[in-house]
Amino acid sequence: MAEWNAFYRNEDEEEEQEEGEQSGESYRITGRDSLVFLVDASKEMFIKGEDGQPSNFDMTMQVVRSVYMSKIISSHRDLVALVFYGTEQSKNPRNSFKHVYVYHDLDEPGAKRVQDIDSLRGEKGAQLAAETMGSGETSLGDALWCCANLYSDIKLRLSHKRLMIFTCRDEPHGGDSVKDRQARTKAGDLKETGVVIDLMHLMKPGGFNVSLFFCDVISPPEDESELGLQEEPCEKLDDLQKRVRAKEQKKRAMARLNLCLGEGLNVAVGIYATAVTARKPSAIKLYRETNEPVRSKTRTFHTQTGSLLLPSEIKKAQVYGKKQIVMERDEVDAIKKFDDPGLLLIGFKPMEKLKLHHHIQPAVFLYPEEDQVKGSACLFSALLKKCSERNVFALCRCIARRNYPPRFAALVPQHEEVDEGNAQITPPGFNVIYLPYADDFRTLDPPHYPAASQVQVDKMKEIISKLRFKYRSDAFENPVIQQHYRNLEALALDMMAPEDIEDLIMPKVEQIDSRLGPLVDEFKDLVYPENYNPESKPCGLLTEKKPKVEVTEDELKVHVQNGTLAKLTVPVLKEACKQFGVRTAGTKKQELIDALVISLLKHFAIDKA
Amino acid sequence: YLWSDQSLLSALVLCMDVGFSMSNSAPGEEPPFELAKKVIQKFVQRQVFAETKDELALVLFGTDATNNPLDQDDQYQNITVHRHLMIPDFELLVEIENQIHPENQQADWLDALVVCMDLLQTETQGKKCNRLNIVLLTDLNTQASPDNLDVIIENLKQAGITLQFFLPFRLEEDEEGEGDADRRDSGHPGTGKGLSREQKSGLEMVRHVMLEGFLSLSTYVSVSESDAIEQLCMFKRIERRPMAWPCQLTIGSALSIRIVGYKAVTEEKLKKMWITVDAQTTKRDDVKRETVYCLDDDNETEVQKDDIIQGFRYGSDIVPFSKVDQDQMKYKHDGKCFAVLGFAKQSMVQRHQFMGNQVVKMFAAKDDEHAGVALSALIRALDELQMVAIVRYAYDRRSNPQVGAAFPCIKQDYECLMYVQLPFMEDLRHFTFPSLENKKLTPSDAQLSAVDSLIDSMMLVNKDENGEQKDLFKPHNIPNPAFQRHFQCLHHRAVSPGTPLPAMEPWLQATLDRPEVIRERCRAPLEEMKRKFPLTEVEKKKKLKTSAQIFGKDAEESDAKNEKDEAEEDYNLADIAEGSVTSVGSVDPARDFRTLIKQKSLPFREVCQQLTHRIEQLLSNKDTLYYMKSITCIQAFREQSVKVNKHPPFGEYMMMWWFLLRHAVWLFYGDYDKDEVEGSTISKTEANQVYRSVYVSLINSKRS
Repeated sequence: MAEWNAFYRNEDEEEEQEEGEQSGESYRITGRDSLVFLVDASKEMFIKGEDGQPSNFDMTMQVVRSVYMSKIISSHRDLVALVFYGTEQSKNPRNSFKHVYVYHDLDEPGAKRVQDIDSLRGEKGAQLAAETMGSGETSLGDALWCCANLYSDIKLRLSHKRLMIFTCRDEPHGGDSVKDRQARTKAGDLKETGVVIDLMHLMKPGGFNVSLFFCDVISPPEDESELGLQEEPCEKLDDLQKRVRAKEQKKRAMARLNLCLGEGLNVAVGIYATAVTARKPSAIKLYRETNEPVRSKTRTFHTQTGSLLLPSEIKKAQVYGKKQIVMERDEVDAIKKFDDPGLLLIGFKPMEKLKLHHHIQPAVFLYPEEDQVKGSACLFSALLKKCSERNVFALCRCIARRNYPPRFAALVPQHEEVDEGNAQITPPGFNVIYLPYADDFRTLDPPHYPAASQVQVDKMKEIISKLRFKYRSDAFENPVIQQHYRNLEALALDMMAPEDIEDLIMPKVEQIDSRLGPLVDEFKDLVYPENYNPESKPCGLLTEKKPKVEVTEDELKVHVQNGTLAKLTVPVLKEACKQFGVRTAGTKKQELIDALVISLLKHFAIDKA
Repeated sequence: YLWSDQSLLSALVLCMDVGFSMSNSAPGEEPPFELAKKVIQKFVQRQVFAETKDELALVLFGTDATNNPLDQDDQYQNITVHRHLMIPDFELLVEIENQIHPENQQADWLDALVVCMDLLQTETQGKKCNRLNIVLLTDLNTQASPDNLDVIIENLKQAGITLQFFLPFRLEEDEEGEGDADRRDSGHPGTGKGLSREQKSGLEMVRHVMLEGFLSLSTYVSVSESDAIEQLCMFKRIERRPMAWPCQLTIGSALSIRIVGYKAVTEEKLKKMWITVDAQTTKRDDVKRETVYCLDDDNETEVQKDDIIQGFRYGSDIVPFSKVDQDQMKYKHDGKCFAVLGFAKQSMVQRHQFMGNQVVKMFAAKDDEHAGVALSALIRALDELQMVAIVRYAYDRRSNPQVGAAFPCIKQDYECLMYVQLPFMEDLRHFTFPSLENKKLTPSDAQLSAVDSLIDSMMLVNKDENGEQKDLFKPHNIPNPAFQRHFQCLHHRAVSPGTPLPAMEPWLQATLDRPEVIRERCRAPLEEMKRKFPLTEVEKKKKLKTSAQIFGKDAEESDAKNEKDEAEEDYNLADIAEGSVTSVGSVDPARDFRTLIKQKSLPFREVCQQLTHRIEQLLSNKDTLYYMKSITCIQAFREQSVKVNKHPPFGEYMMMWWFLLRHAVWLFYGDYDKDEVEGSTISKTEANQVYRSVYVSLINSKRS
């Protein structure tokens, strides 16, 4: 039985690996991430900004909501808590702390929680907060202690613990040095147990002075050598959102590899996926009666004897040129192995040699791993600096993991950029751009047309400049995913109908039309003849549906013999499969052909001599 | 909308000399016959794996026997049509491997050529073949009668047949001057000196045909040197016929341009999947996979497929959501579209934010010159302004819409827009990394200059003496090595079953490494780098050693398994990292016990004592749950003590079991008549269960 388990474990692993490749999330999960929002609920937080700007409290709630949502979408297993301090009322596990209100204890966020947060937003939210919690005395020490209890009450293993303090008061205890000291001590305790404390300080009249108190409470920046960036307080929702988002996700390396510059010169680097296509999650199978999730078990057995097949009783095969070629399962893996995982430097090329259209996969990001090989960061930094200065990229051969065939990649230098508030916009490191092989190009036969005249081009330029906008990569939400979650939200909360989504990638046709005004007609007059209608369908598309076609047994026999099955269309092949009762692995053309060849060779007993 | 000429096929005849002279060779050299066989093998192999519909025939001459349609009255003797025109398959490869041998006759290569022409003409009748080819492999060492040469040339011309010669010797530089595009090794000194009279006159004739301009010529002197062979070695790169995607580019509601899109670059995958077959019969029909569903309870109660509905996770909630509802409520759109949202600076769209795995080129619609001009105006305007169009792209109604950028692309002979997908907000992860501008890390000037000279020595793009740029390494010209290796192994297995897989071919290995020039050039700068940048590997946790110890596996374990074991080890290390375990607690005594043993902070004996004590305490609770817990404790004890001492301290171990068994027996035989055992809350059935599990565990532990 032991062999059995090992076998299936391997198979699952294969799937996981494939998925991992797709989403770029291949890191091992060793525990849950947790995040506690510790929010100041004092009166100051509720003061509305100028010109009807939302209050700091309102802004915070919006950010908390968006984090809840993003956790639900991208990492539902993370634990999140929301705790208010400086409240009049108290509510915490043993009610041992005054003026601390645990609104949500550490748990996976769900629909109900999002709804709870929603009720705290806006004018009504402020009112509700005043009624249920009120504003009272402040003891940050107690609040931190309470949070520490939240962490220790969790029975699950936590891999990353973070606490974010949202406040606009730089002296929460109004100069009470005893309370200040208490808070510092408690913060120290928390940090010792591995909790990272961040400050999300918000704008207040007169500016927020971190050095008055909070500098001793928060965790030191990641690189200990420097004091870290002195960030300005957040004034805008956008900034706050960005800042929270940057900290909220724990960055994990997809892989830790050696970047080999030459024999004996290995720099340790981590590969990070900074952009991964978010997909609608796959459905979970539930038992109809109880709505509880069911597990699936897959078994492989012998069709004739019905006995379970051990891994050693299974081989893998492919069909080429009418022949079935059989390999052992481990040979299938061995074929894919070229070398051990790692990056091998081939050489350098000027940046202009990196072609825009050489794109086959989203890029990943490279950053040194000083704690694997000491000295990596320095060499990496020197390489980055020089590549950037000389405007070259490093060409590397990349084997991302065991038994992966190699790919070539361009390491493009990216230097660090920070915004006015000293927050990092782009991190320092190399972007890894995967390059295509010869097989990845398709031969096209482009049509040739006369080029446009300068007058025509200039008119188009006018159109373009009317429709200019500043592109930001995070400006567009995925309407498919958004709609999916709105639907779930509506079902989970028994809402009548899902909330409407705004499809941000829909062209704003009316706006465009009114902006362009007469330009469109002017352009059309320049390029199109009078009665030309670009909307009309080209006549070639109006083909009638073909009548159903079948092949006779004799024709099929000839096709199998000559290996010309591929000339038949998919519907015909499907029909033939039905006709002869051939089982197929799928409905792809190749799969149909393979299945037909194997069973028809037998059927016709085609003479091989 | 498909380019018409691509649907036509080609037909090719391989015509190989197997005659007497072909097996002659200078000592230490491979005979021409062997080389020719290799060329043919590689060529057929390539065709088989490319799964083209192109047809192929094989004609041998110089055979002892005669078998061809023109065989009559002593004419066309010693020529054999080995295989008629059909799609090449493995049978042919096996035949080439096993049935083609050097033979003892000689035949006129011009006669063989005529047989090939006849074959092509009769066997392509009624087929749509657009390319007819004859490839002749011979050393020209037979008397050929030139009488009919002109007639043959005329016939070749009329039938539109092209001819390619593979000769086993290099031609003299001055002898082959006539611009032959396919000639591959003009730089080498000629070795055509020792040619026989027949060869010389044969060459004359070849040259004569060449002058007619429809012949190409390659030599196959030596497999290792000649890139002619290497070209053949590479399995035909996968070619897919591009599918046209006709659509309209729209700007607002009033301006549209008819376009057609083609995938230009996309990550190509192998078409075929591995199928699972029975090891004995190698039949796939003998193997069946079945998936069953069960509840996540102790009995793993099976659930019928019909009783399964689908749901989705919404954070901590699981929401049942039927397919019908999902289809009704899901995001719907109007289908196929390429609509401009606006225009942005090219510099705002960063290369590393390209998403998806393809680049689509958008041309103006076929046969629509007006669309051509309109699109050209857009392309040129974008190019002059250094801008891109940000567009909404939807392939069809069933697929999800994307946001992407259309870049202008102006080539010498065409213009197009290049579409690349861009990220959605949900796709992005905003990671911050510590700054590298840091006093401790800042490289010194000496270090920087070492990097400088490394870059200098490793520049792959250089100007040659004529001022022309030369790129030493172009990944986009390399065939995907995974495919090459895959086909090499499949071919080997098909042709020589029962033998282990071959090593990777040297030429393939070489294409994946640094060019030789670079390797030489960077040697010194690399040494300098090593001196300037001290790198020390931080000692790793003794992962592998412990895993080997624990699981006692031999070194041949598969990689995947080792990885899993490492992961498990990590898991335990993570436990330790929590650092909160100081004694064997009551919540999870087994885990605490394991952690403490690993930490080694307490003596082994003491930890064992703590565990024993805890077990006694657990048992005094008289509750099924605690009994079960005790069992896991004892198991943990056994497993850890084996690791630490190689074998468990037997006395203590047995005592524990005895202890437990006594309790169980007492439970079992206690007051049997009552429904509940006295003094405990355990029912009779539960007591039974406990007893059985204790008994089974005991038996098992004895066995191991």
